[in-house]
Amino acid sequence: MSKVQEAYREIEHVVGPKYISDKDFVKAAYSRNVDPAFPDRWADMIIRPETTEEVSEIAKIANKYKIIIVPRGGGADLVGGSVTQGGILLDLTRMNKILEVNETDFYCEVECGITWGALVSVLQQKKLHTGVLGPGSGYSATIGGGLSNSTAGFGSTKYGLVPDICLGVEVVLPNPQGTILRTGVAANKYARPFCRYGVAPDFTGLFMGDVGTMGIKTKAFLKLFPLPEFMMRHDYMVLNRDYNKVTEIVHLLQKEVGDGIHDIFIVPFDVVNLQKMMAKNKPDARTKIKGPVIGVGIEAHDQRILEIYHEKVEKIMKTHDTRPFEWQEIDMDEPLSKDFELKLSFAYNYFNRYISLQPPLISCTTCHKIPISFLAQAAEANDQFYQKHMKEFPPRGMSIFAAVIYVLPNGHCVVVGGFNAPNEEQYRKISMDMWHKKIRHQVRYGGAHYWLGESISQSIVEANAYTPEFAQFFKDMKKTVDPNFILSPNKFHLYSYDDDISKHLVEDE
Amino acid sequence: MKRGKIMTETISESVKEKHKRLIKLENFIRQCISCGDCREATDYSSDPPKWGICVSREHTAGLEPFFGRGKMQIARSIIDGKLELSKDLAEVIYQCPTCNGCSILCAYDMDNAAVYEALRAELVEAGFGLEAHEAMNQALVELLNPYKRDNKEKNKWLERLDFEIKNAGTEKADVLYFVGCTAALTPELQSVAINTARILKKLGVDFSVLGESEICCGSVALRTGNEKAFDSVLQKNLEVFQKTGVKTIITSCAGCFRTLKRDYGEKLKQLGINVLHSIQLIKQIIAEKNIPLKTLGFTVTYHDPCHAGRNSGTDPIYEEPRELLAKIAELKEMRSMKDHAKCCGAGGGVKKAFPELALEIAQSRVKEAEETGAQFLVSICPFCNRNLSDAIQSLGSTIRMADLMELLDQAIDFFIFFQEF
Repeated sequence: MSKVQEAYREIEHVVGPKYISDKDFVKAAYSRNVDPAFPDRWADMIIRPETTEEVSEIAKIANKYKIIIVPRGGGADLVGGSVTQGGILLDLTRMNKILEVNETDFYCEVECGITWGALVSVLQQKKLHTGVLGPGSGYSATIGGGLSNSTAGFGSTKYGLVPDICLGVEVVLPNPQGTILRTGVAANKYARPFCRYGVAPDFTGLFMGDVGTMGIKTKAFLKLFPLPEFMMRHDYMVLNRDYNKVTEIVHLLQKEVGDGIHDIFIVPFDVVNLQKMMAKNKPDARTKIKGPVIGVGIEAHDQRILEIYHEKVEKIMKTHDTRPFEWQEIDMDEPLSKDFELKLSFAYNYFNRYISLQPPLISCTTCHKIPISFLAQAAEANDQFYQKHMKEFPPRGMSIFAAVIYVLPNGHCVVVGGFNAPNEEQYRKISMDMWHKKIRHQVRYGGAHYWLGESISQSIVEANAYTPEFAQFFKDMKKTVDPNFILSPNKFHLYSYDDDISKHLVEDE
Repeated sequence: MKRGKIMTETISESVKEKHKRLIKLENFIRQCISCGDCREATDYSSDPPKWGICVSREHTAGLEPFFGRGKMQIARSIIDGKLELSKDLAEVIYQCPTCNGCSILCAYDMDNAAVYEALRAELVEAGFGLEAHEAMNQALVELLNPYKRDNKEKNKWLERLDFEIKNAGTEKADVLYFVGCTAALTPELQSVAINTARILKKLGVDFSVLGESEICCGSVALRTGNEKAFDSVLQKNLEVFQKTGVKTIITSCAGCFRTLKRDYGEKLKQLGINVLHSIQLIKQIIAEKNIPLKTLGFTVTYHDPCHAGRNSGTDPIYEEPRELLAKIAELKEMRSMKDHAKCCGAGGGVKKAFPELALEIAQSRVKEAEETGAQFLVSICPFCNRNLSDAIQSLGSTIRMADLMELLDQAIDFFIFFQEF
């Protein structure tokens, strides 16, 4: 009997035969994420545990047989993060309970396999929300996935990234003991998980954006906020294509409207034109698109305050070469600004809007953060990159600098972009090579990627972004929690502790 | 949503031949990008959201082959030559009532159930069909009904009527009432046929029935992947329908309705035959003749059969039953309804091959109905009726299962009485 078979037998005893499988068709069903570049990858077994204790037992057995584990949440990963060739694929979606919603102290405790959709729906009925409404991969994504990828989403301009609302986590360490650890104030075994800092160093941060390399998240403690009663959203078209103007406007909005802003997002000129072209219900009158569209969502707990915020926004916009814009000018199916209300549908069906407009073409995503002051230069750098490497892209591989630019707190933004590639075997390598090349380029101009998975974390290493000291520190930290190197290998070009990641460096192109 | 071009040149000729049914649906298969929005099949676009409706995932181990994304990846792996069909695969693929809730939630133009049925047909062809279904489909071919009964028993409900109905084999009529095997052969459900016939008579509809000559529509064969059995009854039925000379077929079974309307589709259109669910015709006549309906004083909730709703193609039947129910009773809606209604769990051969799973799914639906506080759980499909009735009985629930025809018959009776008085 092979070690995999022996491990299977032991794990079957832990979770029961119903929740483990090594059948080929089950492996095939779990073979992909949302990306066109990775090949299908089949795990040796798929397990669907129900409790933290079961996960802990699985970690012990995996250590005993030295079998790798890759955790999987919603499986909506765009960068190859939650599939594995061989080893154990841990489907965590059965751990989907809301354990506590504390309406007085504004926090909740949930199992990490719950989807954002399920959680925000329940909270909304209690007039609460999590600030950021989950990652861009939509409501099918899990809380654990959002934390592991440090993602941004709707609400992030005000509330920050997903880890910014995290008060702590419960994780199972991939060590031979299957250690169960609680971070944040929950590290005090007498305390409720009501805040993140205190008691101990901020070990929560160790597991944020780790793409599942440092521990298996089983529970999360999240901040809650009262649902603002008054919201408004208006769009403005910049009357030229100058990103420096966008920078100026966004800077002023953050400086002068501040906390009133819920969201700022910029739809680039080319994308507005594309949407105009693709609209099913076109208006009779033709609108000339002159520049990018800036969407500004504001919120308040009092109508009078909201009006003041709105006045401030209007004043900035009027004096900075913009005009009010309605999406109905290009698509009659879009709602008018005056009818706006923050519905859950606002963040729904993200994929068909931004990631895969024409399936089976799917985007090789290159979402990264830059300072807002660098926007114009980044756009220029991306254009130059495309011109230089145009012929190397896969067929129909339309590349855009950004599908949307999403503003984050403290003067930086997420550039949500990528290029299309066919989801077909013969184009996977060419797509993957170009994907890495594009990421390396962005890393080298100082972009900060966050949705790392395999493809992006490896590209960061290839770009020589990490100093030797940082790389060693990272390795040492991982060795502490994962001595047998069984959790999520391949990410960051880490294949064993003996590996020297510098051998993966790629010269500046 | 537009689709990109599919490049099929990499698929080998042998795979193309072996999996021709799936290849035909390659567009659907390849446009699944694995986003997983179908996993809970929950529509967050409405406030409050419409909750998860993938009953297969909810009531099984929930591994990915049990819901849309996983099945689509399995289909893709098969046409890419990476995965072979197997008995184990069949065991899972058949634990889905093919309710198509997954396609409703998909942002793309998707028909998941068509892919699942094609996959089932290939499993059957490869010898991996389920025994329970094989026996059922054999009976369908040999006895012309899937219940292994003498087709003469389809006359029995007629014996319970106190009036005569035209025999479609010998007498011409405007409308052919296609009763369906479940209502005709299940003693407890013969009331569906009886009530339908009574209502049609009261409304003055010139209609006929086939009685023992009525051949199963073949829905069960098609849903379980037995194309040969389906083709056999399809040809026989087309001959029978042509002989009757009818221009309209009505049926009080959602399964028959969908099969005749969508799967016979063009073939019936070529014969100049229009297919309606009985409720469509009845509602139309009630409206045209402005027939008042008695208020029965009940509270009711309505279960949308998948085959009358999202699986029926164009013009799904959501409003007609509700409008009629609202006139005769107080309608209380369940959380999941219309195109997001949860399936009763009987369809797709689940009740035949996995009766415990079908019952568990139905129990969940009955509990949802109980939450409304309604006295009656009403539907327009005898097969849903049967499964939900089993669930009501097993739960010891006080809610009463009723076909809409039963309630309408009472409501229209009052009208007749009133007119006579």
